[in-house]
Amino acid sequence: MSASLSARAKPRNVVASRPLLLPLTAAGFFLFWVIVASLVYGAGPVTPLEVLATLVGQGSSEAWFVVTELRLPRTLIGLTTGLALGIAGALLQAMTRNPLAEPGLLGVSAGAGFAVAVAILVGASTATLTTLIAQAGALAGCSLVIAATRVQGLGNDPVRLVLAGATLSGLLLALTSMLMLMDQRAADEIRFWITGSIAGKTLATFQATLPSLVIALALVVVVARPLAAMALGERAAVGLGHHPGRIRFLITIIVALLVGAATALAGPLIFVGLVVPFIARAFAGPDIRKTLWLCLPIGPAVVLAADVVSRLIAAPAEMPLGVVTALIGAPVLLAIVRAGRMPSL
Amino acid sequence: MHRYRFTMPDKRTLVANLVLLVLAGAAVMTSLSMGTVQIAPAEVIRALTGTTVDPMAAFVINELRLSRVMAGLLSGAALALAGCLMQTLARNRLATPGIIGIDNAATAFAVASVVGTGIALAPSAMALAGAATATVLAFGLAGANGTRGYRFIVAGLGIGAIAGAVTQVMLSQVAIDDANAAYPWTVGSLNARTPESVQLLALGLAVGWLALMFLSRAVNSLQFSDPVAITLGIKLKRTRLLGLGLSVLMTGLAVSVCGPVGLVALLAPELARSLCRPGKVPLTASALAGAGFMVVADLLGRTLLSPLEIPVGIITAIVGSPYLLWILLRPSTRSLT
Repeated sequence: MSASLSARAKPRNVVASRPLLLPLTAAGFFLFWVIVASLVYGAGPVTPLEVLATLVGQGSSEAWFVVTELRLPRTLIGLTTGLALGIAGALLQAMTRNPLAEPGLLGVSAGAGFAVAVAILVGASTATLTTLIAQAGALAGCSLVIAATRVQGLGNDPVRLVLAGATLSGLLLALTSMLMLMDQRAADEIRFWITGSIAGKTLATFQATLPSLVIALALVVVVARPLAAMALGERAAVGLGHHPGRIRFLITIIVALLVGAATALAGPLIFVGLVVPFIARAFAGPDIRKTLWLCLPIGPAVVLAADVVSRLIAAPAEMPLGVVTALIGAPVLLAIVRAGRMPSL
Repeated sequence: MHRYRFTMPDKRTLVANLVLLVLAGAAVMTSLSMGTVQIAPAEVIRALTGTTVDPMAAFVINELRLSRVMAGLLSGAALALAGCLMQTLARNRLATPGIIGIDNAATAFAVASVVGTGIALAPSAMALAGAATATVLAFGLAGANGTRGYRFIVAGLGIGAIAGAVTQVMLSQVAIDDANAAYPWTVGSLNARTPESVQLLALGLAVGWLALMFLSRAVNSLQFSDPVAITLGIKLKRTRLLGLGLSVLMTGLAVSVCGPVGLVALLAPELARSLCRPGKVPLTASALAGAGFMVVADLLGRTLLSPLEIPVGIITAIVGSPYLLWILLRPSTRSLT
């Protein structure tokens, strides 16, 4: 009796004040083990024990090479990609108030991918240039999405936007395929990259994306509070002294920087930006700032876990990372769409 | 059973069908005469009737081009007919087999039999099984929400994404050295067809089209709400089941010939609908439009970047996607059906 009474006495917005420490610690713990797994497992004759020996500084030179030259860059790139895509997804979803607004589904990644394909075709090969071009493509894609959400009637229909994004992605993919037909050398390079993979990348590609990641994350810190205010409605945000137009502009820039960097690193990965904020929201509730905090460990963990799976599932061959993320992400998409009431953001 | 009887189309539909038939015929003639070797239309006709004196023309037309053009004609017609039927059944203009993931699932199953996963059934049979599975999934997932609106479509998008990923998994497993061998199955092309699958498709299309001619009154009534259709004396469940079965049949067989060629099933019925009398489901007109569209798309793919060949699926995607985007993004909130 008393228990039910006290339960009723709790404030109704109890969701908003969920403690963050426990899920954050759990996610961090999970991330740690995924990183270890990413360093330990893989093709090649290096046993897990040797890897552990290498990590504490006493392994064979062969193991040293495999771990530091192959697996470490791959792990770092997986971490960065997951971080960027998770944050970008959370921001885009909060701004469009659409739980399905995901850079991969909406064609932002496809925009970046198409730009990179063009760049490869004309012969650009340096990592820095590729990153910049991918970000330019992502910016174009993202601006298109933002413009589309302003179209009358589209804001009310979360699912219609996704379909438009999928169509745009299909179009860009077809154009990319056509570019691939024109040049066999470029085709091999693009084909490897387009299915989404973080294998065989060097630290140079990773370093090339670092500056833009730092800028983007700094901007996230600036924009998080006004964005939380936007969740109350645009009028409320204006009343609190924020500028919705300015916020939208900043978020477009951030998403383009993040998605462009991630696409330059790993190819157009879909569904990561959907799954990560989906999990984060389940623990953090509707507050975008808490969701963003949780995306920090969850994003890298999801991508790295998918990468480990992609190495193990078809060993000794490897499966493209994009395939694994699609297999994980599509059921989540179905679950969100299937839910009787679309969770409004 | 007297409800299902052959009904003559009205005058406007007849004229539209005739126009589309002529257009498709022109597309076939152009497609036969153009290519790496140009052959004059008169010579094409002589080659087809076996009265030509030029052995090279006879070989190029009868051995090389004819089978390809026939495959395009049949698969385009089957895809468009299936698309038009499914749009009507779901009462949703976007519910074409390609968009709700049925093409991809049929491809995944067909690839499973091609790459040797130990499943020894013919690709056509597997494609049918895949199409049926995806249809059951898509309509099953629609559940209480129904098939109207965008939610149903995005559920299908998810199914398509899973099937596409499964196809990728299988293709990466067999480590095909020549990536081009796997390529037709991921974008849709007329290169991977086998004569048997084309013959099966011809049979399936003939059965499907004839059955639909007898069902046309019932299919027309499906455009109305359920109570109205019932009042008109339509056995809803039976008609729906028959219709879904027929569209699965035609989609599966078409995919086993040409792979997941997208958007033909969306564009052709749109064109047919604009030509035929409003309020009627333009089944035959859709098939004719789809056949012509596919042949033209394949012709473009063969000749645009000649000697390179662009797979027909890429052409239809580049032509069709902007149109679909326009449907989705225009400000008016016109209904989907």
